Amino acid sequence: MDEFDDNEIAKLLRLKRYEQPPPAYFDNFLHEFHRRQRDELLRQPLWRICLERTHDFMFRLNVPSLTSYPAAIAAVLICAAVISLRIYQEPEIARVAVRSRPALSATTNAEGEWTLASPVATRVFTTRSLRNSSESARTHRAAAPPRYVLDSVPVSYEPTFKF
Amino acid sequence: MNQARKDEDQQLVARTQAGDAAAFDQLVVKYTPRLYGLVYNMTSNHEDTNDLLQDVFSKAYKAIRGFRGKSSFYTWIHSIAVNMTLNFLKKRGRRFHLSLDDVDSSIQNDKEFLELTATSSPVREADLSELQRRLNEAMMKLSDEHRAVVTMFHIQGMPHAEISKILRVSEGTVRSRLFYANRQLQNYLDEFRKNPVA
Repeated sequence: MDEFDDNEIAKLLRLKRYEQPPPAYFDNFLHEFHRRQRDELLRQPLWRICLERTHDFMFRLNVPSLTSYPAAIAAVLICAAVISLRIYQEPEIARVAVRSRPALSATTNAEGEWTLASPVATRVFTTRSLRNSSESARTHRAAAPPRYVLDSVPVSYEPTFKF
Repeated sequence: MNQARKDEDQQLVARTQAGDAAAFDQLVVKYTPRLYGLVYNMTSNHEDTNDLLQDVFSKAYKAIRGFRGKSSFYTWIHSIAVNMTLNFLKKRGRRFHLSLDDVDSSIQNDKEFLELTATSSPVREADLSELQRRLNEAMMKLSDEHRAVVTMFHIQGMPHAEISKILRVSEGTVRSRLFYANRQLQNYLDEFRKNPVA
């Protein structure tokens, strides 16, 4: 009884090449491929389209080759971070000084040299001199006896002592 | 492998990578018939083959920017097709129905077809078309990996070395799978010859 040998099986298998789809199939395949690509594109969320476009753009610019210098990029990033930290910290001190000045001047202008609202310990002294040199000179010329100013309050303003 | 074809493929790949979609269309047109034969003989279903082929080219188009030419485009696209088909067959399991394409009329002029039908052989005793049907059924009884090797070697006519590159296995493994698959097919077909009505 004859049996199938390898050669005959191989010949039978080779005949399977003749099993073909309908003739128009290969003509339409490319159109179908384009249609599916369009459909797929429309189904994608916006962020993914943007990501792909960005990726394409980077690829065309050959950005990956730049990443062969990771140490340089890391150094630049570290420098930028240090500089930005310093810039951020420095104005903080200046801001404190600016804020404290109006508090002094407001107290001076509104209340004069003394503030009763605040306790003695927080007494605020004005940094501005009460009289300038020309005023002082005029006073000295007009009034013959010289007057001496102690602290920042003229002595003449003090109530006279009565015994 | 034909060097001219390889060079032409390299040019088309380079153009595609530079953003020329028409170049990829040429690759699609060029490789569709061949990949159809590969996927169809692994799935034995036209609709599945069509869907898989569309997915294969879609995946290839997305991945072609990363293709560095370590292997030829021919090997690369075939390995995508084989891997995707094997994954598909694993998911599909045994739930399938044969949807066989018509045999092309040019088979009547094929030398091997004439030999098989004219000479004294077991094939002549049975109706050849029935035998082909049985052969398809026998093919589907093989494991997916064995069917892939049989398809590439016997039907597509690829050499062992090319198959081993596509499947990323050794040539020894390819030969061993072929030997085992041939034995299996031989047993199925002998059984059919002994019991033609079964």
